[in-house]
Amino acid sequence: MDVAIINPFIASITEVMPQLGFENINLTDQSEKSKKIVASGIVLTLGIVGDKKGNVAYAIDTEGAKQIASIMMMGMPVDELDDMAKSAISELSNMLTANAAINFSNDNITVDISPPTMLTGESIELSMSRDKIMCVEFDIDGIKIEINVALD
Amino acid sequence: MENIRVMIVDDSSFSIAVLKRMLQKDGLEIVATALNMNEAIQKAQEIKPDLITMDMTLPDGDGIECSQEILKHLKDTKIIAISAMMDEEIIQRAKKVGIKGYLQKPVDQTDLDSAIERLFEGEELYGVLKNNFEEAFKESIFSFLKREIGGEVVVEKIDAHPTTTISSGISVAIGSIGRHDGRLIMDMSEATALGMTRKILQDDGQQIEDAINFLSEFTNVIAGNACSLLNGLNRSFGLRVSPPTVFRGKDITISIGDIMSESFVIKTDLGDVFMNVGFQKGDVEWM
Repeated sequence: MDVAIINPFIASITEVMPQLGFENINLTDQSEKSKKIVASGIVLTLGIVGDKKGNVAYAIDTEGAKQIASIMMMGMPVDELDDMAKSAISELSNMLTANAAINFSNDNITVDISPPTMLTGESIELSMSRDKIMCVEFDIDGIKIEINVALD
Repeated sequence: MENIRVMIVDDSSFSIAVLKRMLQKDGLEIVATALNMNEAIQKAQEIKPDLITMDMTLPDGDGIECSQEILKHLKDTKIIAISAMMDEEIIQRAKKVGIKGYLQKPVDQTDLDSAIERLFEGEELYGVLKNNFEEAFKESIFSFLKREIGGEVVVEKIDAHPTTTISSGISVAIGSIGRHDGRLIMDMSEATALGMTRKILQDDGQQIEDAINFLSEFTNVIAGNACSLLNGLNRSFGLRVSPPTVFRGKDITISIGDIMSESFVIKTDLGDVFMNVGFQKGDVEWM
């Protein structure tokens, strides 16, 4: 596992999530996957260019996404993932990746990120254009978030 | 730098006079001046200037506090700090509240000019991008398909597209990153992707894995060519494309309503291709 690539993303989660009001953040799994990933619920990908090039894909199940959107919207109840809730989740992926980019810059690696692309569905198969993908899984107040990073 | 409306905030009427003269030299319109924080906040809300030059020491507060209050209500107004005192700590505080730049007094005309130019060139560039990206991507996909697939290729714009679209089977997303960032989404059915792959490689044995690779490269070429065209119009766009991510599955919904974008259906003999492309305005964080 290339820690230099995944650590900025791990740090980003542990920095950003508490600011949004989340309390218990636990890294539950860390693995290296091959090219293909299957995810259900919400998938957000952002492109990365600069000293390193690739993609990051966040996967959250629908229930978890609703809970996150609700907390980000000051506790407003979120019964379904409408445009507002989706926009909150999209903004979260943007914040997390922008923060990771700042963490990279602290290691003198300059990267820029694209706007997120959001997809919803069951068993979405992702090909991330890199053979090795670093994956980390977090349990954040009972919500599972998976981060897949394909970068070199 | 025409049509930029400026407010000058400074506790010294001498400094105001000096800045006024410099800014007018650049063709900027001075719409207000304020000698203290209260006056500045009130006038900013009334007049909504495009640019504010902000002194850091004011009789009833400081420039940081004043800027913070003004930016709460005026998201599009840009503030440049102009002050005699300047150190790392105050620069950090200025950045934090959303001030865009910091110049030390006495201000040099050239420094002021280039700061303002950098701050506002993004607006103009975004206008150029908005007027040209559609053609660039249409041209790019049309010539690729015409060359590689042949037959009838018709690019139709979808007016007033909804905020989401249902995938026909395989989708590819590519980011284009530069002064203003954007995104390209391409979508087609597995049958169309397979048909195109087989046609281009002239090999009927091509499988879905090959089609995914094809679609990924296809999207990369469309985005790369279109961004090169745009960079050719103005190098300041500095657009670079990120590697593609391919999605495959049943009943996938793609959100496309989050940024200013346009959607197209490209009709070919081998099936329809959906293309959505959009850009969002990037902001200068700090000069």
